[in-house]
Amino acid sequence: MDFNFNSHIKSITSAGFYHLKTLQISTVYCQNQTWRDLLIHAFVSSRLDYCIGLNCAIQINFPCLINRRTGHVFCLFQKPNTAIEYVAAHLSKIHGLDWHPDNEFIFATSSQDNSVRFWDYRQPRKYLNILSCQVPVWKARYTPFSNGLVTVMVPQLRRENSLLLWSTLELNNPVHAFVGHDDVVLEFQWRPQKEGAKDHQLVTWSRDQTLRIWRVDPQLQRVKNYADDPMSSGSKLDSAAVGAGLPQTLQQEFSLVNLQIRNVNVEMDAVNCSCVVTAHFGAHQVHLVVKFPAQYPNNAPPTFQFVPPTNIPNSMKSKIYKTLTDTSLQKVKRNQNCLEPCIRQLVSCLESDMEDGTPPFVPPALPVFPRVTNTYGSYQDANIPFPRTSGARFCGTGCLVYFTRPITMHRSVPATEPTPRSLSALSAYHSSVLTPMKMRSESQRLYSSSPTRSDKETVSISSFYYKERKSRRFKTKREASEFSNRPIKLAGKVIIQDISCLLPVHKALGESYILNVDDIQETCQKNAAAALAVGRRDVVWALASAATSQDLSPDSDPDSETPWARHPFGRHLLETLLAHYSQMSDVQTLAMLCSVFRSQSVPVDSFSLYGGHHSTRSLTSGSYSSNSDSVPTNIYNPGRDQEHLNPWGEPSPDEYRFSSQSFTDPREREREQHDMNKKLLDPSNTLQFDEFKKCYGEILYRWDLREKRADVLKFASCPPEPHRGIEFGVYCCHCRSQARGTQCAVCKRLTFQCAVCHVAVRGSSNFCLSCGHGGHTSHMLAWFRSQDECPAGCGCYCLLQSTY
Amino acid sequence: QVSVINTVDTSHEDMIHDAQMDYYGTRLATCSSDRTVKIFDVRNGGQILVADLRGHEGPVWQVAWAHPMFGNVLASCSYDRKVIIWKEENGTWDKMYEYTGHESSVNSVCWGPYEFGLILACGSSDGAISLLTFTGDQQWDIKKIPNAHTIGCNAVSWAPAVVPGSLIDQPTGQKPNYVKRFVSGGCDNLVKLWKEEEGQWKEDQKLEAHSDWVRDVGWAPSIGLPTSTIASCSQDGRVFIWTCDDPAGNTWSAKLLHKFNDVVWHVSWSITGNILAVSGGDNKVTLWKESMDGQWACISDVSKGQGAVSTITDTQQNEQ
Repeated sequence: MDFNFNSHIKSITSAGFYHLKTLQISTVYCQNQTWRDLLIHAFVSSRLDYCIGLNCAIQINFPCLINRRTGHVFCLFQKPNTAIEYVAAHLSKIHGLDWHPDNEFIFATSSQDNSVRFWDYRQPRKYLNILSCQVPVWKARYTPFSNGLVTVMVPQLRRENSLLLWSTLELNNPVHAFVGHDDVVLEFQWRPQKEGAKDHQLVTWSRDQTLRIWRVDPQLQRVKNYADDPMSSGSKLDSAAVGAGLPQTLQQEFSLVNLQIRNVNVEMDAVNCSCVVTAHFGAHQVHLVVKFPAQYPNNAPPTFQFVPPTNIPNSMKSKIYKTLTDTSLQKVKRNQNCLEPCIRQLVSCLESDMEDGTPPFVPPALPVFPRVTNTYGSYQDANIPFPRTSGARFCGTGCLVYFTRPITMHRSVPATEPTPRSLSALSAYHSSVLTPMKMRSESQRLYSSSPTRSDKETVSISSFYYKERKSRRFKTKREASEFSNRPIKLAGKVIIQDISCLLPVHKALGESYILNVDDIQETCQKNAAAALAVGRRDVVWALASAATSQDLSPDSDPDSETPWARHPFGRHLLETLLAHYSQMSDVQTLAMLCSVFRSQSVPVDSFSLYGGHHSTRSLTSGSYSSNSDSVPTNIYNPGRDQEHLNPWGEPSPDEYRFSSQSFTDPREREREQHDMNKKLLDPSNTLQFDEFKKCYGEILYRWDLREKRADVLKFASCPPEPHRGIEFGVYCCHCRSQARGTQCAVCKRLTFQCAVCHVAVRGSSNFCLSCGHGGHTSHMLAWFRSQDECPAGCGCYCLLQSTY
Repeated sequence: QVSVINTVDTSHEDMIHDAQMDYYGTRLATCSSDRTVKIFDVRNGGQILVADLRGHEGPVWQVAWAHPMFGNVLASCSYDRKVIIWKEENGTWDKMYEYTGHESSVNSVCWGPYEFGLILACGSSDGAISLLTFTGDQQWDIKKIPNAHTIGCNAVSWAPAVVPGSLIDQPTGQKPNYVKRFVSGGCDNLVKLWKEEEGQWKEDQKLEAHSDWVRDVGWAPSIGLPTSTIASCSQDGRVFIWTCDDPAGNTWSAKLLHKFNDVVWHVSWSITGNILAVSGGDNKVTLWKESMDGQWACISDVSKGQGAVSTITDTQQNEQ
C-alpha cells in the first residue's frame, strides 16, 4: 500500500474500503498480494477545503475532492501530487459525486442548485447533460444496471422522503419513486449483487430509524431501457424495514437539527446532553434549557426549564411548558427525536401569543417545491394503490355481487409476477412512444384506448392490460374489419349470485315461523314443522316445546319446589343450545328461541311492549298476530281489550324490580331471587338476547317481512330510544292536567275517552288534529266510513281538517 | 343451491372498480375508470339503467349506499380527490354534497351504522381520514384525522354500533353501549382502530401483521355475539382475521386465513358475519367460512379466473 496522504492539511475524518469482488481494479497500487485480495482501494476524505466526500472511479482509481464552497470539482490522481484537473461544475454547493459504473470517464455531480450534471472527465469545461430536479439534490448515484440514476433530495428540506429513479436517457420525468420512508433519507447505496441474481437491491437508511432494502427486479431495471424493450410495463419493489435499531446519538440529532427561524438560536452541548434555546419576539425573551436523559430518545423525554432573562408571563410559561412536554412525549414514545418539533412548537406558541402589539413573525420563505402537474399514473402516484379490477361484496341478505377483469384483457406481465402495488406502475405508459398499441405486434390487432378518452388522456388502468379479440372466423373481409373496428369492452359484467343457501338464515323460515304468545306449545310445533319443510331437522323446537309446557311452568311460591330452570335440562340446556347456534351465527334461530322463552317466562298479562310510551295516537299499537297471515299492525285488535287489566304503558315487572332496590323484607328478597331463578333465559344476558332480536329484525326488514319483524321486536325487553319526532300529549279528561300515556299521573284515571263509546281508550286510538276528539281506532274507522263530521258533535269536519 | 340470478352489462367504457347493491338488494351501483357512477334497477333479474352520475374528474374507486332510513343516498370517491354524496329526490339523482378536503386520491368511503345518523368515513392517499356528519339543512360537519396512516390510507370500515362487551352479564334495564368505532388500513402496513371519545377521534389500537400495504379492511357485522371480528388483506397476499373477545376491546389476536399468490384487494362479510368473500389480483373470488373448531376453510371458488363462472358446490351443513 503506497498511499501518500501528505496533501491533507487537516486530520483525515473518514476512510472506507471497497471489497475486491465489487470493483475491478488494476493492481497498480497493490503491492501486497494479500492486500489485493482483501482490499483494493481505500478512499479518504479530509476536511481540507471543506471536502465532504471522496469517490473513486473504477479504473482510473483516483480520489476526487469536491470543493463544496465554490462548486468546483478537483480531480486528484492517486499518483501522488501529479495532476490536478479542474472541472467547472455548479453554481452552488456540490453535495455528491458518483462515477459511471461502466464508463471510466463519466461522472455525475449533485448540487444545491437543483441539478444533477453529467460530466466527461476529458472535457472538463462543459457538462454532457443536466437533470433539473426543482429541489437541491443531496446524492445522485448511478444504478449498477443500465443507465439509471437514483437521486435523493437534501435532508434538511424535509419535503420529500422518496428516492427517485431516473433514466439517464430520458431526464424529463423520473421512472420510479421509492416510497416508504416516513422521514428523510440520509444515505443510500446499492448492495453488491450476488452472482446469478437478477434483482438488484438498494439499501437506504433514513431519519425515521429504519433501514430499508428495496428490491429492483429485472422488470423495473428494464424500465430505464424501454427504448429497446417497450414491454416493460410496471415497476415493482419490495421493501422490508429492517428494524428501527439504528443507534442515534444526541450528536447526530444536533447535527441534523435544521432551524432557520429568525430570532431563535439554539446552543447545543452534546457532552452535557443539554441545549439552550433562546428566542426573541418583540419585547419578549425566552431562554429555555433542555436536558436530555441518558436513554433519550427511547421513551425518555427531555426536561424543559425556563431560565432568566425569560420575561414572558407565567400563564404563558405553563402553557408552553405543557405543549413542549406533550410534544416531546409524543415523539419519544415512538423513539423519535423531539428537539426540532419542540422548538417549532415553542415558536408557534410564542407567535400566536405575540400577535397583538408586535410585528407579525414572518417565517423565511421555504424554497418552493413546484409540483409538476399531476398526470394520472405518473411517478407522483406512487402512494396511490393500484386499482382493483375485480371485487366481490355481499349485499342485501343473500346476494354476492362480483365483477372480474374481462376475459379479453390479459396482463401484459407474466402471471407469475404479482400485480403492482401502486398506480405509478402506469408511468411506463406515459412516454409517447409507449402506447400499448405499439407494444403489440400487428397480428394481435390491438385496440388502443377507449375512444372517448383517446384525445385527452390515453393512460388508464386498462393500459396495463392488453386486450385481445377472441379469434373468430368471418365470412367476408368486411365483416372482419367491422368487427375489429368495434371497441373492445374494457368493463366486465357484474354478476349477482344468490348465495342464501350458504347462510344460516332462511327467508322461507322467516316467512313461516310464527310467534304466538297465547299458545307457546302450538308455536313450537308449527315452527318445528316449518323447519322440517325446508329440510332442517331442528329438534330444538321439540325441546322448546317440552321446556315450555304448562306442567313445567314455575310456581310463584318460592318454597314449593326448585323451578324447572334450575334443572340440568332447564336453563343449562337452553344455554348450550344458544351457544351452539351462536357458533353457527344462526341469528334466526337465536332470536326465535329467545322470543319464545322470554314469552314463556313473563306472565302474559303484563307484557312489556315494544314502544315504551304510548301516546293517545299509538303508532305501533299492539296487535298480537297469532299466525302468519297476521292482522295489519296498525289496527287494534279489540278482542284483547277486556283481557288486559294492566294498562299497556306500564313498565314491565323487570323494571319495577330493579328500579326499587330497597327490599327490607327477607321474604321479598327470596321472592326476587326466585323470580330470577325460575327464568329459563339468564336475565343478565338480556341485552344480548335483545341484540339477537334486533339483528334478526333487521334481516326480516330486508326481506320485506315487516310484520314478522314487529312480532319479534315485541319481545325485546329494552325498548328502543323514544322517538324524537312529534309526540302527542293528552289533557286528562277528568282533571284537565297534562298527561303522557293512558293514565293520568294526577288523578290516576284513564285520560282519554272514546267519542263514540265513551269508554276510556287504552290501546290504539285516532283523533283529529283540529278538534282533538277521537277514540278507538276501530270505532273511528267505522264512524268515518259513513260520516264526515266529528262524532263528538263539535261540528268539526275532521277528515278534511286532518288532511294535509 | 347457489345460482346466478343476474348478469349486469354495465356498458362502462373502462374497467370497473366497485359494485354494490343497496340495503334491499334492488339496486346496483357501479363505478369505473370512465369517471362515472351508474345505478341499475336489478329487480326480478332486470337491469334498467336508473342513473348515470357524472361529476368526478378521475377514475371512481368506490361507492357506498347509506341506510335507507336516510333516503336513497350514495357516496362515491375518486382519484380526483373528491368525495361526492348523491341523493335521489323525486326520481332524479343529484349531488347532495361534494367534499374536496383531501389532497390526494380518496380511496375508500364507508357509511357508519344508522344508529349514528348519516356519517361517512373517507380514507385518502394524503394519509388522512375524514368523517363527514350530516347535521341537517344541507350542512355537513367535518372532522379530519390527519396523518392517520403515513404515506396513505387505503381502506375504512365501520364497526357495528353496539359494543359487544356491553351486551352480556349486564343488569336488566341497562342500555347497550353505543360507541363510534371504525377500522382503517394503509400504506404503513398497519391496521388501525379508531374510536370517538368526547367528540374527538382517537387511535384505539394498532394491529401489526402485514408486511406490505394493507389494501382492504372489513369489520364483521354483529349479530349480538361477544366477539368482534375484523378481516384485513394486503399487497403481501395475506388475509388476516382479527378477533377480540375482551369486553374492553384491547386484546386482538390475528389468525392467518390464507396466503394468496397475488395481492388481495377486497374482503367482504356476509350479513351474519360468518362467511368472507375474498378477491384480488388473481382475478378470482373465493368464499371462506369458519368451521365449528375455528378453522377457516375455502368453501367455494366463485369465479375460476378470467371471468368464467362456475357454480359453487353446495357445502351447506345440515344444522343439528
